[in-house]
Amino acid sequence: MTHLEIENLASDYLEGLLEPTQQAAVEAHLAACAACRELLEDVRHAVDLCRAAEDAEPKPWLVSRIMQATVGERAPNWRERIAAYLRPVLQPRVAYPIAMTVFTFSIIVNAAGLNLRSLRFEDLNPRTWANRANRQGHMLAARAEKFYYDLRVVYEIESRLRRLGGQPQIQEEPSPQPAAPGGGSSQGAPADQTVASYGGAWVVVAAEREPAIAAAGNHTGFTRAGRSLIP
Amino acid sequence: MDQDLELLERCLSGENSAWEGLLRVYTRKIYNLCYRFTGRVEEAEDLTQEVFIKVFQTLRSFDAAQGSFSTWLHRVARNHLVDHYRRTKKDRMTGSIEDDLEILEERPSPGAGPTGHLEARERQEQLQRALDRLSPDLREAVVLRDLNDLDYLEISQVLGVPQGTVKSRINRGRLELARVLKRMEGMRGPAEAGSEP
Repeated sequence: MTHLEIENLASDYLEGLLEPTQQAAVEAHLAACAACRELLEDVRHAVDLCRAAEDAEPKPWLVSRIMQATVGERAPNWRERIAAYLRPVLQPRVAYPIAMTVFTFSIIVNAAGLNLRSLRFEDLNPRTWANRANRQGHMLAARAEKFYYDLRVVYEIESRLRRLGGQPQIQEEPSPQPAAPGGGSSQGAPADQTVASYGGAWVVVAAEREPAIAAAGNHTGFTRAGRSLIP
Repeated sequence: MDQDLELLERCLSGENSAWEGLLRVYTRKIYNLCYRFTGRVEEAEDLTQEVFIKVFQTLRSFDAAQGSFSTWLHRVARNHLVDHYRRTKKDRMTGSIEDDLEILEERPSPGAGPTGHLEARERQEQLQRALDRLSPDLREAVVLRDLNDLDYLEISQVLGVPQGTVKSRINRGRLELARVLKRMEGMRGPAEAGSEP
């Protein structure tokens, strides 16, 4: 076997890929040829150096850089697309007017008594809206008036109980005053009746006991309004 | 292998995370191939990115019947490296023995390093300089076989040449690499001897 043949078979010999006969021939040549032994040692050293070489470490951001260069920014999903579409609308300068418009519209619809689920043709008439809004307003005023007098009743009951608990001499209270003779009784009676009609039975008692309060109720004007509004 | 195909299918259906998964698996290998081929970090990074851009654009042309995705990817990378080598051939400085001498004089000897890490790094750089001395055909064969650990069949598919040619190139490449390394060590010996008192 020649030196050139040894060179051609160097890798196969080092990797153990030679036929047994070739293997024996190479080993026989190597036993007698120092130059070829040295050559094969050098090749073995080069291969070992390659296989022992550690991988070069790429920069950590290389994958991100390639992602950026290939697919660019990550494609948004449908939620992000909707959010991006609505983003100008959601600016405060636009969102507040929209919210106020919706709020105003809801108040108008509520005041007009419109049922949006079963809308009729006459519901679209502005006169119907005005009538319903007027009625709603009066109903609201009547409820507020009744609530006001209910509060007076509560106050009266509490003051009466306080008075009964602290002063056992009930006879000293000015209860006889409504029964005073003359025009006083005839003027106080309508006020008492008015209060009784809106405040209930307790108010009658209160008016009898406290004509001053009943008179104050007349001054508020609620009584007059109540007469005309509440059927 | 199956995982590659699954990632590939998901990637072709537009799933970016699958493409990122492929990148995380293969960036290191392709970067090493590029680095061993060029010997420069920045150039290897740019080439790695260019390879994956090309792969991304031609992903649908991959045919699983003709080989694994890894082989196809290495073939694309190798072709790109060859193109790059030809493109930059005029600009590239041809190395000479004087360049090696200058480099060796500037670098400390392996034994001078305070730790074994420096010695290992020195060996790596020496290997890289030796690989740079090989012709592209021999270098790519040696890199694919002894550094990227591909078998002969895979290398023949990557290079598009018969296995016999692959074996011949690997053998010639190893012989040439051994001679270059020995020459470099021979130059280092006198340099070290000269530096010692």
